[in-house]
Amino acid sequence: MWNKPWTMKEGFLTGGGLIIAGMALELSAGPVVWEAFAWPVNGIVLAGFLMLIAVMFLLRKKVYAFQFIGTYQAAIPAMVYAVVLTIIMGLTRQEVGGTWLNNMLTFWPFVLIYVYITVILGVITLKRLCVLPYHGHIRNIAFLLNHLGLFLALTTATLGNADMQRVKMICGIGEPEWRALEPDGTVKEMPLAIELKRFIMETYSDGSPKRFASEIQILTKTKKNIETVVDVNKPYEVDGWKIYQYGYDTQMGAQSQISILELVSDPWLPLVYTGIYMMLAGAVCMFVLGRGKRV
Amino acid sequence: MYVCFRTGETRMSWEQFIYFAIVAVLFWAAGAYGAWRNKTNIAYTATILGLLIFFGFIVSMWISLERPPLRTMGETRLWYSFFLPLAGLIVYSRWKYKWILSFSTVLALVFICVNLFKPEIHDKTLMPALQSPWFAPHVIVYMFAYAVLGAAALMALIGLIMKSKLRITNSEFEIIDNLVYVGLAFLTIGMLFGALWAKEAWGHYWSWDPKETWAAITWLAYLVYVHYRQLPRQNERLALWILIGSFVLLQMCWWGINYLPSAQGTSVHTYNMSE
Repeated sequence: MWNKPWTMKEGFLTGGGLIIAGMALELSAGPVVWEAFAWPVNGIVLAGFLMLIAVMFLLRKKVYAFQFIGTYQAAIPAMVYAVVLTIIMGLTRQEVGGTWLNNMLTFWPFVLIYVYITVILGVITLKRLCVLPYHGHIRNIAFLLNHLGLFLALTTATLGNADMQRVKMICGIGEPEWRALEPDGTVKEMPLAIELKRFIMETYSDGSPKRFASEIQILTKTKKNIETVVDVNKPYEVDGWKIYQYGYDTQMGAQSQISILELVSDPWLPLVYTGIYMMLAGAVCMFVLGRGKRV
Repeated sequence: MYVCFRTGETRMSWEQFIYFAIVAVLFWAAGAYGAWRNKTNIAYTATILGLLIFFGFIVSMWISLERPPLRTMGETRLWYSFFLPLAGLIVYSRWKYKWILSFSTVLALVFICVNLFKPEIHDKTLMPALQSPWFAPHVIVYMFAYAVLGAAALMALIGLIMKSKLRITNSEFEIIDNLVYVGLAFLTIGMLFGALWAKEAWGHYWSWDPKETWAAITWLAYLVYVHYRQLPRQNERLALWILIGSFVLLQMCWWGINYLPSAQGTSVHTYNMSE
């Protein structure tokens, strides 16, 4: 073992080592505190992460472990660990404030395995980018769309999560509201005010809900004055905030005098979407090109 | 029904659907027959003619409704029925699998029949959360992925049982691999469409809802297979087992989570449960 070239066995041991390290971290430092990654920490972490990947890539000829990271023998065990840990996540009840297996997203072994996968993605992306000028095949481009797209989506979605704001605004008819409730119940002053003009609830003949919507007027600090309708599935976007129909006074039903709107701001969304669109393009390539002939 | 009348003009409506559908399905069946008989010209011509006729109906509906026909369930099924033979034709043109056109024709026929025999669903109860242009592509793409990956799992199972003494041939493995690539491509698209839709409907593209968690598991499992098959030296039986295991995980994602204690009451994906 540990004779070069390393095989899947070494790959599984590396992943197992990460899981043990994660357990040690969980015991000593407690679960991952994602809230701590709010801007600018996430920007710094991302820059450091990218540098780490670049260094690993540049030193791959000198340090064998860094070379190994860019191989199938490293990637496959990493994915197997991710499958197993995510299955455990799927079989256990996930709770906010839960520990260990009941809150996988903050469980160090889970996080470390996914970080490891992301490092692998980064290294193999750089490897493939280097051959692109000489072999600009559609297959290499498809490879980059898939792997770089996933890398981008994973890093920016995870690191950007701390900057996402989700608040609820309870709007009454004829009363412009500029305060909103954070998930923990604290009141937050918003850069925009919303006045409910009319709450709309339509039902089918059997009484099941057909439509929930709110006719609203929005006034922003940027001096915008907008009248619009927010439906379920049709949020309205203004100044980086997406406004969603969230709830209403269920006692009153269609006569509800209030509408609960959810306001979401996610500054990292364009980066995540870039990754998602790259993966979509990569998937189209995968469909068109298929497996290809074995060399 | 969506019959729009402008004075003095005849408009396309669901009333005419059956005629277009019958002709299109006959052409698709002829194309599927051509594929079985290795008559590629017939396979292409007939399938394309069927697609044109069917698309003609969609375009007429579009003009007559004065909006794209993507709003009701019936309208989304129109697109399902159109895309299935199209996807089948693309797969056929690439790999010449004899059976793929029959497979896609039967699937398209199922959706056409639902439209014909269950027309009341056209504009009846669709809860607000599902009323989205993402609904159709998200679901149809997943259904197609499930179908193709099911075919791959079936071939893997046959390979494991029948060929327990013999080695599975390279050309058989090539078909399985290509099916997995097509299925995985659609699985990816279905998942990402779901993420884009979730952002519009629920405010976030990924919430680790049980359905999403199992979708991620399934996706990763097929990635394991695809990467394992890239190894220069590999255990072919293990590869087939990975494929079957992945398909079992897919069942969990598809309907298994409805019976999973850890997912009870926490999934926003349970629309069909007694609510």
